[in-house]
Amino acid sequence: MGLSAVASRVATRAPVPVFPVAGLGARAAVDDLLVETRLRIVDTPAAANVLLLAGDVPSGLAAELARLHDGMSRPRTSLWWTLGASVRPAIRCPTEVRDPDPSILVDAVVDVHRRLLTGELASSYPQLPDEDAAPWRGIGPYGQGGTGMTGGVPYGRPMAEVAPDRDGLRLDQLTVRIGPFFARFPTGLVLELRLQGDVVQEAQLALPAGDVPMSGVATTPFGDALGVPVRVSVLEVERARSHLRSIASALVAHQLGSLAQRVLRLAGKVRPGDDHEIERLHRVLRRSQVLGWATTGVGHIAPERLEGTASGPILRASGVARDERADDPVYGGLGFEPIVHEGSDARARLAQRLAEARQALELAGRAGELDHDPESPLESPRGRLAAGDLPARRVLPLIPSLLEGMEWGDAVSTVVSLDLDTDEVLALHATDPKVSVP
Amino acid sequence: MNRSLVVDVLFWCFAAGSVVTGFLVFRTDSMVRAAFWLLASFVGVGAILVLLAAEFLGVVLILMMAGEMLIMAVVMVMFMMNPAGLNPMFMVHQHRFAVAAGVVSFAGLSVVALTVDFPDQPVDPSVDATAELGFELLGDSMLVFQTAGVALLATMVGAIALASRNGRFGTADEGSHEPPLEIEELESP
Amino acid sequence: MAPGVAVVSVAVAMAIGVYAVAVIDGIAGRLVAGAGRRGVGVVLDPPRTVVLLLMQRRHRTERADAQGWALAPALLGGLAATGLAVVPVDRGTAVADPGTGFVVFATAIAFVMIAVFLHGWSPNSLFPLIGAYRYGAQALSLQIPFLLAMLATALPAESLAVMDIVEAQGDVWNVVRQPLGLPIYLMVGVGVGFWGPLNLPDGADLVGGTSAEDAGTDRLAWEVARAAMLFAIAAMGAAVFLGGWWGPLLPGPVWMALKTLCLLVVMVASRHLLARVRIEPFVVACWAVFIPLALVNIFVSGALLL
Repeated sequence: MGLSAVASRVATRAPVPVFPVAGLGARAAVDDLLVETRLRIVDTPAAANVLLLAGDVPSGLAAELARLHDGMSRPRTSLWWTLGASVRPAIRCPTEVRDPDPSILVDAVVDVHRRLLTGELASSYPQLPDEDAAPWRGIGPYGQGGTGMTGGVPYGRPMAEVAPDRDGLRLDQLTVRIGPFFARFPTGLVLELRLQGDVVQEAQLALPAGDVPMSGVATTPFGDALGVPVRVSVLEVERARSHLRSIASALVAHQLGSLAQRVLRLAGKVRPGDDHEIERLHRVLRRSQVLGWATTGVGHIAPERLEGTASGPILRASGVARDERADDPVYGGLGFEPIVHEGSDARARLAQRLAEARQALELAGRAGELDHDPESPLESPRGRLAAGDLPARRVLPLIPSLLEGMEWGDAVSTVVSLDLDTDEVLALHATDPKVSVP
Repeated sequence: MNRSLVVDVLFWCFAAGSVVTGFLVFRTDSMVRAAFWLLASFVGVGAILVLLAAEFLGVVLILMMAGEMLIMAVVMVMFMMNPAGLNPMFMVHQHRFAVAAGVVSFAGLSVVALTVDFPDQPVDPSVDATAELGFELLGDSMLVFQTAGVALLATMVGAIALASRNGRFGTADEGSHEPPLEIEELESP
Repeated sequence: MAPGVAVVSVAVAMAIGVYAVAVIDGIAGRLVAGAGRRGVGVVLDPPRTVVLLLMQRRHRTERADAQGWALAPALLGGLAATGLAVVPVDRGTAVADPGTGFVVFATAIAFVMIAVFLHGWSPNSLFPLIGAYRYGAQALSLQIPFLLAMLATALPAESLAVMDIVEAQGDVWNVVRQPLGLPIYLMVGVGVGFWGPLNLPDGADLVGGTSAEDAGTDRLAWEVARAAMLFAIAAMGAAVFLGGWWGPLLPGPVWMALKTLCLLVVMVASRHLLARVRIEPFVVACWAVFIPLALVNIFVSGALLL
């Protein structure tokens, strides 16, 4: 057996570097892959060998998806985890996994990776032609497309501009697009930013138009509860899970990946009445400073700006006790009282979700056989939910002005603390390319 | 191997390295590369100082240059907004004056190198050259210099704090004024 | 020591150190994640990942500075080796013991920012560039507290040679004599190794920062060099704060290894216990809190010696 054969056999047993893209209805399943020890979820396509497309990745993102694929290093391949979606992704995926069971997916990824390393499966070709971003060849005094020292488009790229920074110095400024597959943001969120070093000088939302086939989207208990009676205990456990997943992605953004794994494991196994587990988690988070200096004062939203925009935990973290469940006689019978936190910053929002997760498990433990009435108002984990009234639509317009003047690290913490739902962000693509900024 | 031969070979390597990297500073078209070539040149000079048994001076020279060149590179890039020299730019300006200054300083240094009678005494290994250097430079004034050093550092931090736009009571251009004292009204019984 | 022996000893020490960092990181991560003990993965995954990265092709970006990109990890690894070389293992046993060993180590630490900046600059890509700028601010703020905390340890020895600094700790270790020193040193050490809470240049918010475009051998070299740097910092901390080879019963080198391991565990585990710090308050804290604290540390230890 040759050296390379030995090497590829050893390498196939290493955790597989995977870059996941969560499409419609796939966010929770993709987030949960973080706990799989046989996979290594990476943040950047360059580090990955396998591009995992999960669920329905809208065709409006086809060009970006091709660019993402071409940013991977070789050997590389893409794999589609259908999760009930019916429309094929825009790039070719030699492998498809139809079973929603994560362990079957992991087996498939490991197998694809093995075949890739041993050469059984060919590394995929670039999706985009190798062409310049803008014409530059032969233009300008040196044929590099530039003019003077700071003008033109040398090598096809615009140059940095200068603008006053926060100390009044005129320093360089980069105009960049972040998204739609930025690992810390929900899929489909695109920000157009002017950055000075680490500081966001200007931010704009850019949601490219495109059609999202809403069929085949995995439904959640909250989606069902708009139409049919659903057990309160089911809803509340789902709420706790959603909050825990949101906390896990905040932990990843604060560089505590292993703690995020612990939270995701907890989210996978919580049962009604498990509220003491959350109690313990709260102590760990306080000690790790995720509920401390890492988030205190970050992403503060003035409570008056939340009037009529945000609802749910974001609003309650600013001290407003508004919760649709308070008007629901079923919850009234369970002795429900809305929880509030003061501060309206990332810390308050995290603490709010943690407290609500605990409360939800407590309620679920007491709810027994009670059902939620589809006629009653519905409080989803992200706020008031009604047909055609998605919480993300109300929260997204807050983002640009919120991020201006922030360091990039804080900007990421802020967006993560808003807990935007991937499905809702992707759905906005379909219906409303321009989210109006109030 | 003969020790002095090793030192000689190393000296010529570092000397040639310093000259070549110093030359490259003016040949590259990127500010960051220019700064790093200059840094490499200084590292060569520092190494030569170490070979001359001025260990402390040599190592400290390298230590200081690391930070200085990084600041220089970052500040140049941020002010000049020509990242990576995407558009070719020249590191040499005022060509005639530069050539003249170069020739004159080269001639001057050559004259010094050829005419001065350099001492040729190997340092006694039992002497702590660093300590000797300290006494030679500062003598009895060590405490004074150290105090001045700490005072300067504190002054620099203070000056930056004062010059910063974001003051304790708002930004400077909006008038950073201390808010008036608020007297809490006592509740009437 | 013959040059060949010196190079081999440093290389072996670095290899052991890098592997130790990987294993400690794996164990700490699993403990925090609550994954339990699951087989030999913790021990075998690092070498497997090394082989995988060797098989992965390098990634190239448009108009990258190829030389700088290749140079950066080599420079960082070389700096770790330089730092490690001046750490004494036992009385009279060190790869190199120059009279200015302390300054040589400080220089290696100062040069880390050049390596990181170069690594972020070279790929000609957004996230690496932001990481590079960011590390400039971070490293410059770290330098002075780091130097001051280490400088205080040279006072009792009245020497800049690391061997003398360890020798002077026969009665009482510097960690007792200067209780402020070791915490500052470790905090800064984590920052210089851009690890865990102070991993701002390669942070999660920049999806990998300066190494966001790295693949294959580029990534491998960078990770190895960074782990070696952490190991060098832990070894130097054990020497100048925890009394190096001093200790009862066991032979000197064993004590040195144990103390290094202790510091390494503390530094590596911080990654799983503490959240990423915010750069702005951190820089302010460096200038406004850590420098005065380090100065107090020097003044107090100086006064105690008089």
